[in-house]
Amino acid sequence: MSTTSPPLSARQIARRRRTAAWRRNWALFRGHRAGLVGLCILAVFVVVALAAPLLADGEGLKVTKATGGVLESPSGEFWLGTDESGRSVLTMLIWGTRISLLVGLLATAISMVIGTVVGLVAGFFEGWTSRLLYRLTEWFLVIPFLPLAIILAVVLGRSLLNIAIVIGVTSWPATALLIRSQTLSIKERPYLERARVLGAGRWHQMTRHVLPNVMPMVFANTTLTVAVAILSETTLSFLGLGDPGRVSWGSMLEGAFGVGAMTTGSWWYIVPPGICVVLVVLAFTLIGQALEEVFNPRLRER
Amino acid sequence: MTTLAAAAGTEAAPEPAEASGPRRSFGRYLAGKVLGALGSLLFVLVVNFFLFRVLPGDPARSLTRGRVVSKEQMDAFREQYGLDQPLAQQFLTYLKNTAQGDLGVSIRYNVPVSELIVDRMWPTIALVGVSTLLATVIGVYLGMVSAWRRGGGFDRFSTGITLTLYSMPEWWLGLLLIAGLSVGFGPLPGIFPTGGLNSIDADPSSLSGMLDSAWHLTLPVITLTLAYLAEYSLIMRSSLLDELGENYLTTARAKGLRDVEVRRRHAVPNALLPTTTLAALNIGFVVSGAITIETIFSIPGLGLLSYEALSIPDYDVLQGTFLLASGAVIVANLVANLIYGVLDPRVRT
Amino acid sequence: MAADDDTFTVAILDEVDSFNPFNGYQAASYEAWALMYDFMVGYTMEDMSPAPALATEWETSDDGLTWTFDIREGVTWSDGEPLTAHDIAYTYTRILDGGPEAGNWGTYLTSVETATAPDDTTVVLELEKPNAVLPLLPIPILPEHVWKDVDEKDVKSYRNEPDGGPVVGSGPFRLVEGTAGGSSYVFEANPGYWRGAPHVDRVAFVVYKSEDPAIQAIIKGEVDFVDDITPIQVESLQNREGIHAQNGISPYFEEIAFNVGAVDPESGEPLGDGNPALQDPAFRYALGYALDLDRIVEAAYQGAAEPGTTFIPSAYGSFRWEPPEDLAFTFDLDKAGELLDEAGYTMGDDGLRTMPDGSPIGTLRLFARSEEERSQTVMEFFQEWLGEIGIEAEVSVMESNQLTDVVLEGNFDAFHWGWFVEPDPDAILSVFLCDARGGSSDSWYCNEEYDRLYESQNAEVDDAKRIETIKQMQEIIYRDAPYLVVAYTTYGQAVRTDRFACFQPQPDPGGVLLVQYGSFNYTLLRPADEAGDCDGIESAVGASSTSGEDDESSNTVLIIGGAALAVLLVGGVVVALRRRSTADARE
Repeated sequence: MSTTSPPLSARQIARRRRTAAWRRNWALFRGHRAGLVGLCILAVFVVVALAAPLLADGEGLKVTKATGGVLESPSGEFWLGTDESGRSVLTMLIWGTRISLLVGLLATAISMVIGTVVGLVAGFFEGWTSRLLYRLTEWFLVIPFLPLAIILAVVLGRSLLNIAIVIGVTSWPATALLIRSQTLSIKERPYLERARVLGAGRWHQMTRHVLPNVMPMVFANTTLTVAVAILSETTLSFLGLGDPGRVSWGSMLEGAFGVGAMTTGSWWYIVPPGICVVLVVLAFTLIGQALEEVFNPRLRER
Repeated sequence: MTTLAAAAGTEAAPEPAEASGPRRSFGRYLAGKVLGALGSLLFVLVVNFFLFRVLPGDPARSLTRGRVVSKEQMDAFREQYGLDQPLAQQFLTYLKNTAQGDLGVSIRYNVPVSELIVDRMWPTIALVGVSTLLATVIGVYLGMVSAWRRGGGFDRFSTGITLTLYSMPEWWLGLLLIAGLSVGFGPLPGIFPTGGLNSIDADPSSLSGMLDSAWHLTLPVITLTLAYLAEYSLIMRSSLLDELGENYLTTARAKGLRDVEVRRRHAVPNALLPTTTLAALNIGFVVSGAITIETIFSIPGLGLLSYEALSIPDYDVLQGTFLLASGAVIVANLVANLIYGVLDPRVRT
Repeated sequence: MAADDDTFTVAILDEVDSFNPFNGYQAASYEAWALMYDFMVGYTMEDMSPAPALATEWETSDDGLTWTFDIREGVTWSDGEPLTAHDIAYTYTRILDGGPEAGNWGTYLTSVETATAPDDTTVVLELEKPNAVLPLLPIPILPEHVWKDVDEKDVKSYRNEPDGGPVVGSGPFRLVEGTAGGSSYVFEANPGYWRGAPHVDRVAFVVYKSEDPAIQAIIKGEVDFVDDITPIQVESLQNREGIHAQNGISPYFEEIAFNVGAVDPESGEPLGDGNPALQDPAFRYALGYALDLDRIVEAAYQGAAEPGTTFIPSAYGSFRWEPPEDLAFTFDLDKAGELLDEAGYTMGDDGLRTMPDGSPIGTLRLFARSEEERSQTVMEFFQEWLGEIGIEAEVSVMESNQLTDVVLEGNFDAFHWGWFVEPDPDAILSVFLCDARGGSSDSWYCNEEYDRLYESQNAEVDDAKRIETIKQMQEIIYRDAPYLVVAYTTYGQAVRTDRFACFQPQPDPGGVLLVQYGSFNYTLLRPADEAGDCDGIESAVGASSTSGEDDESSNTVLIIGGAALAVLLVGGVVVALRRRSTADARE
């Protein structure tokens, strides 16, 4: 050991510890096959979403540029047939991946930010702010999700961002409660007690001790929330509240239901988007469950 | 999505572990919960009114859409429903009427909202009630067996299927079921009716009429059952696994109790708690869950009623159904909490 | 599960919202009233011109201020009471008295001062000034002896539903079961109907909340008729044995409407932020050459529509004005460009046209309605062609509710919507009046000359002269182009011809089979095996023996769907299996 190397700063130690923790967790996750399967499925969809312009011409989404006939069945030219305007279903499916994933992630980000902040504050502080926030969370929890989401979607108008906002704003209370209960239990831990005695400010306690400790749970919860958000986007789009200018899996299913694809026998229009939704949601759920087990030792032991 | 939204609720139920102060009596716990519920109700009442007033659109116009109507007729229409009053005035009227149990009159049907709700409630209650019941029973059973035989063939099979069902939009499943079981399959004719609540020639009040309605509800109930059972099964499985890891079970086993008895006497009752809560909460999600299924199966229930009221917008109907749905969740939540308080004294500390 | 032979079952997509003719708004309600009640003057099947109904003959005084109707004798209400001229006068008087009763029907009786019945067989209408809409009055005639007990203040809550017995009416059928907003309604034949007893015992309406289940219901034979289906669905039903499916002509047009200059109807101050270019008729007219209507009909309407010209649909031949060749729009982008150049909207250096003063035109905001998918398609085409003549545009889609607000605030440049046109064009003509601004006008069009012509046609009792005026008005609107009429749409319907036959189209030929003006087909239709020659009506859709291949398509959906489901479930199991192996490894 060289004596010249300066002692590691607290920050460096923390960073090292964190890196080690991530490594350990990744090793644990790798041992979790279902989670890996989910990760692989997800990877495929992410690649499709990113490479959409290479896989299919975006012009194919424009009704005015449609070349196919009305609801043509799959052929060499249109691998998954055409929709009622003569667009290629495969092209729509590929570009729809982008929208569905994007809305899912965006909504989750909104939901996470609100949920984490409310949960942290409600759990960490005492007094009326905390009580009020807790009540607010409870109140939001009793408002039925779908009607509220539908109304907000109608009020805000139909756009990509708005639908993400709607889902984010309606799905945060669950996260908030989870974070709050985690915070409550962390608050009672001895090292926080020590930090308090040593004169650490609230901000310091919260950002340096509480937040890092709840982060793993937030992360696991996030993956599960993405699954919910994608399902929500699909349902809202199916009910005709999606962004009319963009193709998502939900809006494809709305179109298919609208033209009566079941009666006309256009399975290529109604089955593939549904399968994509199931696969992506399943992937996120599997990953989320695996993460939960990785981060929650109690779960891991079982 | 209902299912997941409800799952979120379960996290709320075991929550009330306010760690401060001396042990509270059950009475205080009860009073606290009831007060909280009343607060929620008040919040919903306020949100209810203003939420719908910001909806774009004008009922007077949307009802006369596509036809030429004079301005005088339109004004008369607005006056009749009090839509010409200032918002504050409308709000006070709304509070007063709601307090008196008067939910207003549907603009579209010219019928008191309470009457409309009572009319439309039964199909929804039947649909959601039966599927919740079935889903709970089947789901709990599947979850229990899965947990007990964790890692076995049955567990793998059941977990795989439930996870897939859980990831499926329930209406998509419904669409596939309609295509398969209602329209017909190969040489087999479609078995189930395609939609609606009863056949034309059936008298809904007779026994045969009720059987006919039950027949019409079969496919939607199957769809919702499949959609709901997934999460009951998953929750039951994981909470039973939790319980099985607890020390007291080891103790019980050490005391010489047989496995079966350990399961029946200790683990299952405790693991049932979160599942019960979930079931109680799902009842409150009657409207949410019913909207899509009622739409694709053409069932004249509350979900469809509120969804259709949105396009007018038929304010009083929207307020009524929304209030009912939120109220149901609040009550269900309260009941779940009380059951929790009785069954699991730990939460009362 | 098939309904019995004597019940004719119709699938409808919207509920009856009230059986009380003073209250309902939905199309299904109008159809129910037509079954339950009679009109004083009916409609022909050929072109919906006036035809005898309760009134056998009518005449008007030379000044057009007094109309006298001779009322049929021997008509009775379903409870046995006679139906007389007094019932008619009573019904009209209730509407003339204002209040809630005037809501649905008041406009038809504009300028009518009194309705009286000097005796049992005569109705006299006294007018303030001539009213050209007469004698067509699609107002259900109600029984005085029942409705006199319904006070004006109770009208809005009176439900007019069966209460121990059928609802008292005079129509070919009477309501025996069902409540407004319910999911099915049953009507029983009136054996003593003055036009002759119906040939089926019952008519039932079943509400389907979406089209697909309704289509499957007719395939399975659960219902005998479906109404309001899409062209694609019509096509999918056409090949099926025992089913006749068609796109019937309906008096509905869809247009691209422009904001020609919104103003506050009270103060006359400009309102909203419409593009100034669109206030110039020459600019708007030029855009008419930038619409390939054939392409739009093909792509947006799936071919089931007719390219549009004027706002009176082809279903009403007599009132319709055909634009002469030199005026009629064709798809000619060069011509559009020339016209714009002439009007001063020349091409700038950036490839975009400018205002005559050289300032940029800016981006036109085109609005489409989310309820109709074709609305967006039409506007996207328009946007593209506008781009080709150097005008930028953007399409936004919103609910019609929201669009109504936008239109009333004048915050738009163009939108796509449509109007239902009644057999008498008076109502649709009124949409372009200056006074309609802020009301039913949605283009904010105002032209004194047009207003003057409207007044004169409204008061004109001579049909030929009136038609001349109406044609002139259409020409004004065509040249000024507040509307570019895109298409006359059709209305998809299908009927099980192996069970029921004898449906005469209205208008004949080419029209719809039910949801017509009047209830004629409900008395004409009969079980397929009794069809015969359908009372000699050659155009009636008769017993069908069309052979078509059995469609396997739905099975394909099932097989593929089932397979998909199976794959997913198996996939889930596999995942779980793998999961288990990890669990094992850890233990």
